[in-house]
Amino acid sequence: MDGPEFWRNVADVFEGMALSGHRRQLRAEALELEDLFLLMCFMDLMGLPNPGALYLLDVYPYLVEEFHLWHRRMGFDRSPIASFSCC
Amino acid sequence: MRHLLDRRVLFFGGKGGVGKTTCAAAFALAASREGRRTLLVSTDPAHSTSDVLETALGPTEREILPGLAGLEIDAAREARRYVNEAKSRMSGLFGPAVLAEAARQIELASAMPGVADLAVFDRMSDLVLSRAGGYDLLVFDTAPTGHALQLLRLPDLLSSWVEALTRRRREGLEARAIAAGADAPGARGADPVLGILEARSARLSAMRAELGRADRVAFVLVLIPERLPLEESVRAAHEFSEAGIAIGGVIVNRVLPDAASGGYFEARKAQERVYLEEIERRLPPVPRALVPQLESDVHGLAGLDRVRACLVAESQPRG
Repeated sequence: MDGPEFWRNVADVFEGMALSGHRRQLRAEALELEDLFLLMCFMDLMGLPNPGALYLLDVYPYLVEEFHLWHRRMGFDRSPIASFSCC
Repeated sequence: MRHLLDRRVLFFGGKGGVGKTTCAAAFALAASREGRRTLLVSTDPAHSTSDVLETALGPTEREILPGLAGLEIDAAREARRYVNEAKSRMSGLFGPAVLAEAARQIELASAMPGVADLAVFDRMSDLVLSRAGGYDLLVFDTAPTGHALQLLRLPDLLSSWVEALTRRRREGLEARAIAAGADAPGARGADPVLGILEARSARLSAMRAELGRADRVAFVLVLIPERLPLEESVRAAHEFSEAGIAIGGVIVNRVLPDAASGGYFEARKAQERVYLEEIERRLPPVPRALVPQLESDVHGLAGLDRVRACLVAESQPRG
């Protein structure tokens, strides 16, 4: 391991120590924001009126994957919504 | 109401049965006679426009006379088209499993009430924003008042919703980018969801801005001198002004002619005078046109021509 690379690694270690807790918090925050977005897109599935549902038909396929990650994160092995079973 | 001839978009509306369709068709005829290339569009599911013109109109433009074309928006057909277009846009982009699931969500969404309204609105936006066909004037014959109002308010309702979604999406993406350690959220533009949301948002804002242009767009209230249409028109005038859509004129249809005489008609005319006075006082101070009750009902171009003459008569006295 030569000089510059060594110091870059040292810098990485310090940066990781300083930021890891912070990053975890940021990730949690990012997930919360994404959940809020999903809720707004799928409100009709929860029985709430969704004024945008029809206007966003072509957004849904992009959200199938995110929806799947969400229900896994919430502790549902399978999709909790009968009409939207992504797995 | 000659002042309305130089607008780009006119909506004719009022309570059911007051003669919206006749007045819209007569005004479109007037405009085309004045050399304005005019498209008459019916959004009323009753679709009486074909009957008034005695010409079959369809979902695509069809020439009625030189300089005058017409079409009837079929809500069910537009809804199907709208859903199918959304499906075909995505078909090349995803695997079959994702498409199957998304298709279920789409079917669910398109069964919701409102799909027809939205599809009609979408078609209307196309006509207004694209200016395809090079028309000088678009005349919309709308569904009865409440429904027309709901339709014209859609961009307001939807745009705040879509803007909120766009904001959430952007915040989520930025938070994720920062959490992942990429300080520059430059990859943001690559998110297809955000791309779709922003495009929709832009289209809604364009439609809202256009509807708010009082120099180009106006709503024409049609009523008959009777209590219920009068009250509904007063409410509608108030609600349209709140929605930021200008009332450009008032047409009082089926006013009893002077020639009608005898005890029965004198009594009706006395009552009518009360309503005409109220129309003068309670509706916005915009030009009025009075159309008399004719000896026969109006259909066909000859009948329309008589109504046309009333609508564009020079300086009609107000009330």
